[in-house]
Amino acid sequence: MIRLIFKEILHRKMNFLLGLLAVIIAVALSVSFFITDHASHRETARVMLKMGFNLRVIPAHTDLNQFFLTGCSSHTMPEEYLNTLASAQGFSYNHLIGTLQKKITWQGLDIILTGLAPELCPPGHKRPPMIYAIEPGSAYVGYALAQQFNLKKGDTITIASHPLTVEHTLTENGTIDDFRIQCALADAQNILNLPRQINEIQAVDCLCFETKKDPLTILRQQITSLLPDTQVIQAQKIARARAQQRQLIKKIFSFILPLVVIVCGIWIAVLTLMNVRQRQTEIGLLRALGYGSIRIIFLLLGKAILIGLIGAVAGFFLGTYLALDVGPYIFKITAQNIKPMYFLLTWSLIIAPLFAAVSSFIPVTIAASQDPADVLRYE
Amino acid sequence: MIVLENITKTYQTHRGPVDALVDLDLSIPEGQFVVIRGPSGSGKTTLLLTLAGMQHPTSGKLLIAGKNIYNLSNRLRANFRAQNIGFVFQMFHLVPYLSVVDNVALAGPAAGNNHDITKARNLLEKLGLAERIFHKPAQLSAGEKQRTAIARALYNNPKIILADEPTGNLDPENASAVLDHLAQFHRRGGTVIIVTHGLIADQYADRIINLRQGRLENPPA
Repeated sequence: MIRLIFKEILHRKMNFLLGLLAVIIAVALSVSFFITDHASHRETARVMLKMGFNLRVIPAHTDLNQFFLTGCSSHTMPEEYLNTLASAQGFSYNHLIGTLQKKITWQGLDIILTGLAPELCPPGHKRPPMIYAIEPGSAYVGYALAQQFNLKKGDTITIASHPLTVEHTLTENGTIDDFRIQCALADAQNILNLPRQINEIQAVDCLCFETKKDPLTILRQQITSLLPDTQVIQAQKIARARAQQRQLIKKIFSFILPLVVIVCGIWIAVLTLMNVRQRQTEIGLLRALGYGSIRIIFLLLGKAILIGLIGAVAGFFLGTYLALDVGPYIFKITAQNIKPMYFLLTWSLIIAPLFAAVSSFIPVTIAASQDPADVLRYE
Repeated sequence: MIVLENITKTYQTHRGPVDALVDLDLSIPEGQFVVIRGPSGSGKTTLLLTLAGMQHPTSGKLLIAGKNIYNLSNRLRANFRAQNIGFVFQMFHLVPYLSVVDNVALAGPAAGNNHDITKARNLLEKLGLAERIFHKPAQLSAGEKQRTAIARALYNNPKIILADEPTGNLDPENASAVLDHLAQFHRRGGTVIIVTHGLIADQYADRIINLRQGRLENPPA
């Protein structure tokens, strides 16, 4: 039977090649979509990190009007809150940064002084930092201030009698950050005379909009139960953008992929139908010789399974090639994260033959159940 | 012994029912060379397909070696056919992508035998096709194709060979050669039933049956 399958394939090469092409396309697109989707997931997270934090925990008594106008709370909370939140069970986050920031007057200008605590990540999860770590005694100076006072790396500035060495002058941002001086949290606490105090915890959470419940409600419940004197604000725009980007990619893939699979399935079914019609007499002959339906189904489905197996291997490599080579042009944000996923080869080898066999099943069953007398009488 | 008892076959067509065989009673003893003749539409092919166990009669019984073969399941009937009946068609029905020898050996697995190339080659040599065994059917003449089909029919050592117009596409010389091979099988004790328009097979026949409108014209006494 196997010999018969191979000999028929060699005889009707075009039918075989067209069937193979359908499987290769279905597998290649599935593999390339899967790889890019996976990469896009990671890349989206990275892009969102660059966009900033999407969760802000501030003291409960903060006047929100004043907070949104100045960008910082006039109240403070204990620095220990940062560790309490970081080590809490059941609280889902990716990055935590404690800050103490206040509007001050320096060299006759209103500026924002920001003290940054070292960034915290969930235990056991090493993640690329969202923000630079500032050594005690150092300062990062905003673009406008650096320009106005001609500051450069190594210069010393003094704020409220505390000397700080300029470690870095920032590039132009076009925001209040151009009038900001950032330093280590301990330095800011000394300058502002607020020992072991912070006035904001900024966080990137890992909730997205898939849940039916409002994620902000869940977060507020979790955090206020841990830190009773706080309130939680979500930067909706950033959070929504993040969730929407992921959802968009998922939606595109969940629409295109089934469409491709259905089209390829119909394609294989039509090719099988053409093939069994061409082989009507042969099938009638086999029945006349005494071959049973099961053997004939095996003969016809065997070809489909073989197409599936070869298509799986070729489709996997083509899909991987597409994802690695062409993918970066289409999915620019995922370019750096596109890597081969070899476990997909195993899945392709299981699913593609099954897919080809299922697509061929109806025409094959009809052909195998045809009355040989009907076929041979009219020949 | 092949026994047909009150065999009727009615086809349902869009113009209404058509009787291909009507109350046919016929007995063919083992080892006979039978020629069935009749005009087109007389029911010859229907009778042959019925004898082959490939076409359920509308009513009646077919006994081969005492077995009512239409009482068997499809699988058992297919097995019975593979082991006991060889079939030769007017259009040869060779598988186009198999060599001559593979076409002959194709009959083996259907009857539970091996795909025995040596056995197929021996048969082909006896039928004068030794030089053609690795050719494809498209490379053969009509006579060679029909001899290949006979070799395939003989492969499982059947007791009966049914032939539907086996000489219909052949010139007289090749027709005689084909009938000679069937006659050899008959001389070894096999039963041959040939459906044909022509008269050339008459000289080999132990018995000639004429069919007209699904009925025997010369019913047995």
